[in-house]
Amino acid sequence: MDIPQIKQQFDRELASAASEAAVRALRDKYLARKGGVASNLLRDVASAPAGERPALGKLANELKQYIDTQLTERLAAAAARRPAGETVDVTLPGRAPALGHRHPLTLLRERIEAIFLRFGFLIVEGPELEDDYHNFEALNMPADHPARDMQDTLYLASPVTSAVGSPATLLRTHTSGMQVRYMEKFPPPVRLIAPGRVYRRDDLDLTHSPMFTQVEGLVVDEGVTLADLKGTLFAFAHELFGPERRTRFRPSFFPYTEPSGELDISCASCRGAGCAMCKNTGWIEVLGSGMVHPAVFEAVGYDSEKYTGFAFGVGIERLALLKWGIEDIRLFYENDLRFLEQFPL
Amino acid sequence: MRLVYPWLCELVKVPGDPESVATTLALRGFEVASIEHGRQPVIDFEITANRPDCLSTIGLAREASAAYGVPLRMPDRAMPAPGNGPSVDVAIEDADLCPRYCAQVFEVGIGTSPAWLQERLEAAGVRPINNVVDVTNYVMLEMGQPMHAFDLARLGGRALRIRRAKPGEKIRTLDGVERTLDGDMLVIADAARPQAVGGVMGGADSEIDAKTTSMVLESAYFTPASVRRTSKRLALKTEASTRFERGADVDAPPVGIARAAALLHQLGAARPVGRIVDRYPAPRPPVTLALRGARLTHVLGLQVPADDVPRILTPLGFTVSPSDRGGAGWQVEVPTYRVDVQREIDLVEEVARHYGYDRVPATFPALASPQAPPDARTLQDRLVRQVLTACGFSEATTFTFIEQQAAAPFADGAEPAALANPLSEKFAVLRPSLLPGLVDACAYNRRRERRDVRLFETGARFGPAGEARAVAFAWCGAGSVPNWSAATRPVDFFDVKGVVEALCGAMGATPAFEPATRSYLVPGRTAQVLDGSGDGARAIGVVGQIQPAILDARGFPAAEPIYAAELDLDALAALGAGDIQRAEPLPRFPAIVRDLSILVDDGLPAAAVRGTIRRAAPPTLVQLAEFDRYRGKGIPEGRVSLSLRLTFRSSERTLTDAEVDEAMTRVVAALEASHGAQRR
Ligand SMILES: [Zn+2]
Repeated sequence: MDIPQIKQQFDRELASAASEAAVRALRDKYLARKGGVASNLLRDVASAPAGERPALGKLANELKQYIDTQLTERLAAAAARRPAGETVDVTLPGRAPALGHRHPLTLLRERIEAIFLRFGFLIVEGPELEDDYHNFEALNMPADHPARDMQDTLYLASPVTSAVGSPATLLRTHTSGMQVRYMEKFPPPVRLIAPGRVYRRDDLDLTHSPMFTQVEGLVVDEGVTLADLKGTLFAFAHELFGPERRTRFRPSFFPYTEPSGELDISCASCRGAGCAMCKNTGWIEVLGSGMVHPAVFEAVGYDSEKYTGFAFGVGIERLALLKWGIEDIRLFYENDLRFLEQFPL
Repeated sequence: MRLVYPWLCELVKVPGDPESVATTLALRGFEVASIEHGRQPVIDFEITANRPDCLSTIGLAREASAAYGVPLRMPDRAMPAPGNGPSVDVAIEDADLCPRYCAQVFEVGIGTSPAWLQERLEAAGVRPINNVVDVTNYVMLEMGQPMHAFDLARLGGRALRIRRAKPGEKIRTLDGVERTLDGDMLVIADAARPQAVGGVMGGADSEIDAKTTSMVLESAYFTPASVRRTSKRLALKTEASTRFERGADVDAPPVGIARAAALLHQLGAARPVGRIVDRYPAPRPPVTLALRGARLTHVLGLQVPADDVPRILTPLGFTVSPSDRGGAGWQVEVPTYRVDVQREIDLVEEVARHYGYDRVPATFPALASPQAPPDARTLQDRLVRQVLTACGFSEATTFTFIEQQAAAPFADGAEPAALANPLSEKFAVLRPSLLPGLVDACAYNRRRERRDVRLFETGARFGPAGEARAVAFAWCGAGSVPNWSAATRPVDFFDVKGVVEALCGAMGATPAFEPATRSYLVPGRTAQVLDGSGDGARAIGVVGQIQPAILDARGFPAAEPIYAAELDLDALAALGAGDIQRAEPLPRFPAIVRDLSILVDDGLPAAAVRGTIRRAAPPTLVQLAEFDRYRGKGIPEGRVSLSLRLTFRSSERTLTDAEVDEAMTRVVAALEASHGAQRR
């Protein structure tokens, strides 16, 4: 029997063995102790002339081992592919755990907080109910001040104890009251943001809400300048909106700051060319700010000659409308899950 | 303020088109609402509350003059020679409300104004009426001084009294409305009765019309706070009141009359008769402020060249002279129309505005010491959100003020705090709980065919003790995420209780639950949550099923349950949840686990069984868990089969079966003795 010929025939047969059963049949054919091709071959060696026997025996053994290895490998591979039990339809949906979404206003607020934390700001929270002094008077807005019209106020029918335990008469129109309280308690330096809900007597419509969310900031120290304010605001705007947006700082008016200024960023939808969204100016107003008015320092007992500072306030709803192209502010308060679930986790 | 561009150009030769003027002034603090092109191009500026002087063409022209470095040319304000005749008597009785009052008698021929004047008024947004009214409006738009014309023949006499109204006194104003006045309001009265509400609106009885031949022109200065109060109380806002309440120019009244007289003369509409009456009992001295160069640098963070200070301030109408004190500085006299400039910092702003914010460098404030950590409440809120979103709840934002009917059931008998001036009944009271908002949010989603809803909110609520912080969550629909592999089970009490346990655990509390009643929750499915970790049990919240009647009232199907919970975040914060003291080493010895099934009375709380077992078992009982509760076939009526798994382990040695057996015997005996339990 020609050994290479047997090997060739085995290789051919193994290559064409399509199923695991066919491989098993090959094992029986070649390696069966009785009548297997390899066993027969070894028997033939025994009857060969004595001089050829050792060489022939070696070849026959090598062939048997070769066949055995090949078959074992093929059977092992087939076993690995065989399912353990019933098969599954992997295209059916999985059992997903329920995951909730943070509110988009929270999402944005936390992003803003993260930016100012990196800028070395403290986060403080304060009462939503305020008294006239902390909401207006200490902020250079005495009774009958025309600027009070800028923030039409919701008043309480009778005083309610605020979160700091003092009698409150109104719903805060900004979080500045918290800054006053902080300055009353701690000497400079101050570097904080005060986020939270604020209230104005505005009817609920597409772009207005009687309740909205604000982040206000305050920095007080020796040598704080308008240039520092501008630099801080520009850095913030670039962090939040991306470095490609252009920024602009221009004069404005707020009773508690002097000089005052507003921050604009270039309009994203027209890239500064002018469109309906930016009232054809190419710029979108982002926030109001200014150098803390000396009268505010005097109200809290800071030396207004020694210390200077800046303050700013940004409405989160407004930023959210801009950032996500939302056209109706009421979506933030309707809590429609189809809306809430669009935002990243 | 609608600035008519050709009118501006008449006063200042601006070297730019309307767009250029708009941008130039926008960068100096005058925001542009719109630009309109056409025969009379108009730039509509939003004038901030501090700049009443810029509610006028001259005011904005002055800004343009400073911005472009082009001189301002004032219009003709020469008083024409008056004819002979008597003037009027003016008596200011309440000078605190009216510091200055000017009046001039005119002979008039009422007619229509020429086209150029009408066109300008229309462009500025004012409807032309007749030559006299048009001229008063023109002067107001030009120089910001409101004026009023009385028909002299219709006044009761030639004497005007500037006085407080008598309480209850009535006047029919030009808009035809009869108004009742109070004693804080200022009126211009003849001998008999009020003929105008000072600074707000004239009276209909002395209104000039086509038949008028003789008139009194009023040009006055009224106290801002008074006009503001009157305008608010009468709910009557006019072009005049807008200017007076922000602060008009106390020096403008005689100038306004002269300008109007010059215009009326030019139109051939009227001629002054007799002398101008100018009552100004306590003239105000000019305000002079010191501006220090060092302060300028200190606030702005840049060095403004000394020459630039007078270059900027002079065209704006300030009189600038070098200070005789040491160092760079100026003495600055403030023009009377700049009511907003009261102290040095206001001058700093003037310089900064016209020097240009774009030339201010962008720097960053130095940080001298490390910052303190954020407010603990901010961090607590974040933890709450982290846990609840991981439990499948999305975050809601509901209104702080809600309907009285929505609030009442959740106020636990107390009266919810009400707003004095709510926008509507929908926003009438402060929420006593976060739950009504969440119930409404569930209903909102349910109406949109979203049946499975899990929502939470953190925020302020307002009880009898005042403002406090809370977290609430509500769950309706399926108790698990629907999937093809199994039928979904509706949410039940133990779903929300599990979330309460998880949330309390995350905040370091060990919650205990006891049956309770709340008017807004279903009895028998309501528990008060207590913190059992301290020495005394402290109430931290409530969990249960919302009353179906409330759901029905809020538009949610009453047959479908909403389970909800509300926890007191201030109380949880007070527990001082924080880090663990040290990590416990892992157990070194094996545990022995025993299952126990007993029959007890159906009404016996699981907590009672657990308590008995804990008391009877040795401290090696490290874990105790219910794993089955069964009623029905094979169990006697009124009894329930309860199965518990007890895990014993010692931290010092391997326990023997014998000692665990003995512990189990003691446990069973105690259960028999205390609860009549039978081992199964
Ligand atoms: Zn645009």
